Amino acid sequence: MSGDPERRRVLVSHADQPLGRRIVKRLFWDERVAQVLAIGDGPPPRSFDHFLAAPDRRLVYARVDLSRHRPVSNLFHSQVRAHRIDSVIHVPSHGPGESPNRPLVAGVATRTAEARLVLQQCLQDRGIHDLIVLGSAFVYRLTPGNANRMTEDSELNLDPDAAADLRSWVDCDMIFHGEVHNDALRVVLLRVPTVVCGGGAVFFHPSLSAVERNDWPARDLRPLGFDPLCALISDKDVALAARLALHSRHSGVYNVSGNETLPLSELSRWTGQRSLPVPGPLLRVASRVAGLAGGQWLRVSGDGPQMRYGFTLDTRRAAEQLGFRPGHRIGLARAGDGRVQIETPEI
Amino acid sequence: MDITPRLDPEDPLADLPVLGRDPFEAQEEFDPFAILTATAGTLRVAASGRDAPSVEGLEPDPVVPLSLHRRRRPAPLLADLDPVPPRGIVERWLGADERQRLASLQHLVDSELPYDRMGLSPDVLRRTFPIFYALYRLYFRVRSQGHEHLPTRGPAIVAANHGGLLPFDGAMLILDVLLHSDPPRLLRSIVDRWAGELPWVNIFYARVGQVIGTRENFDDLLSDDQMVLVFPEGVAGIRKTIAQRNRLQTFHMGFVEEALRHQTPIVPAAVIGSDDQTPILYDLPNLARRLGLPALPITPTFPWFGPLGLLPYPVRYRLVYGEPLAFHERFAPKDADDPRLVRYLARQVRHRIQRLVDRETSR
Repeated sequence: MSGDPERRRVLVSHADQPLGRRIVKRLFWDERVAQVLAIGDGPPPRSFDHFLAAPDRRLVYARVDLSRHRPVSNLFHSQVRAHRIDSVIHVPSHGPGESPNRPLVAGVATRTAEARLVLQQCLQDRGIHDLIVLGSAFVYRLTPGNANRMTEDSELNLDPDAAADLRSWVDCDMIFHGEVHNDALRVVLLRVPTVVCGGGAVFFHPSLSAVERNDWPARDLRPLGFDPLCALISDKDVALAARLALHSRHSGVYNVSGNETLPLSELSRWTGQRSLPVPGPLLRVASRVAGLAGGQWLRVSGDGPQMRYGFTLDTRRAAEQLGFRPGHRIGLARAGDGRVQIETPEI
Repeated sequence: MDITPRLDPEDPLADLPVLGRDPFEAQEEFDPFAILTATAGTLRVAASGRDAPSVEGLEPDPVVPLSLHRRRRPAPLLADLDPVPPRGIVERWLGADERQRLASLQHLVDSELPYDRMGLSPDVLRRTFPIFYALYRLYFRVRSQGHEHLPTRGPAIVAANHGGLLPFDGAMLILDVLLHSDPPRLLRSIVDRWAGELPWVNIFYARVGQVIGTRENFDDLLSDDQMVLVFPEGVAGIRKTIAQRNRLQTFHMGFVEEALRHQTPIVPAAVIGSDDQTPILYDLPNLARRLGLPALPITPTFPWFGPLGLLPYPVRYRLVYGEPLAFHERFAPKDADDPRLVRYLARQVRHRIQRLVDRETSR
């Protein structure tokens, strides 16, 4: 049961992607976790080799396509029951290979289809009591006069003309949000802003996370004359928040964020990603050209509000109820080979 | 000059004997508290139809501390700062005192990153300061008085009259406070929402500490012990025609609510000269609305000289800070929910600023 002193048995989805990997590793060293069932699309990450070889088999890895009903159903009826999983941490797909133009599954985005299936199985499986979900904070509605600080109750972006990738995040958010008051299943939705990893990888940001690093000559375009402020959180703090939510008794929606904020231009420079500011009208033309080119040599982050107006997150609820405090700083440091790159040392 | 407050004839409070038919006539030095003390209870009765609650003994509602701001280092006194060497040729023109004041603003950024949570960058402030300092000293030749009324620590709201199409009055107030406070304080100005839509302007405003005017942003600044600059007239202030110069327009009231909620003093400030920097002969509000602009003025130079016609004339600015209005000493935070009281207090601030303006213009 939630808040039960006994050790937890946890399923982590998309464990082959960076945040999933980070969460799995964090849980592996958590004494209050007895078993981790890691699920991924591809083969197990190399970094799991050490953990998978542990004699007590605390970590088990399985390849499952979460966007298809049959494999997900099989997973929950076989491995989940066999390992007596009682909690699920759903990490929506976010890896560097994620393309906003992924094919639809049954008419909805892959991320949305996965969210539906995972929630459906969690609701049906009587052994699962806790569902922790990572969501994006870019679901908030941003306007020219939006407050700098978004609370959990701030309005969501329900614009039907929003980018497909953003719409899928909003859909996921609403799917899980609808179950936060469920008595049988404790649902915790963690909304995270731009996630930064040591070395410079960026996730969850609608522009930067879509750009492969060093894939010259791909160019990312953004609106000229705007430099929105980006709230940042390190991947380690995301894993920390997920772990705190797992062991908490509370359910609901929580903003989690680090202490740092950076303008988009600065963040692009820090992460070594090239983005070219372009006047608004040209951006719309470029968007069509990019569509014709298939995103091979030109990517357009769009002219959406998230590329113009910045925000930070009010994390008071997470601090009070989950006990979340960011434990890592985000800054530039010189690596061993002399390169300057983002590091996330402990505070 | 007639400075009688214009009360709404529909207002049920208009018949009350105490509320300023002209409070200035009766008193040589207008003290809003003298009236407030007498009328606070009456106001509440009129507003709610219930017995007036006693002001005494009211426990202020706790303002939830904002944990999203890590506590910043306290602002350093000038005497505690080491001399700051000039950075580049331009900074050599600045005095040692000005350089020290600029360097002291570094404490506003509390993390490892060069920006605060609102986008303020002390580095950008330092780079742009010489330009505005030249305007302050040489172009507008600012004279100011009443700096002793500016709180040296803690949150405060500076409420000033607004004028001129381009907000040089705000820039001059910010510079004046920075140059005359110890420890040096940066006024964080509340700007209109449409400023967030303007390319480049939105970036510049954020980097030099201006904040879009939302309740949450206001809350954050006051919770962070900052001094906030508001122009309660809003856009109505900048589109005053030459016939209305130095006459304050209707005030927005949000700043009074925030002052009560955060138990913060309000420092009235008068800016003389801003209305003359771009004398508006006629405003075209309907056309401005269609174009999405706050104002579309006809001035002696605009639109005849294109955008250059909007540049301010080299008028002398005079800034006067009045005694702080400590409404929070008389009213509890929950009184911020009483719209009639808030409206009344906003009027008192307006009268106080109008009086400062009149005193200075009559000299």
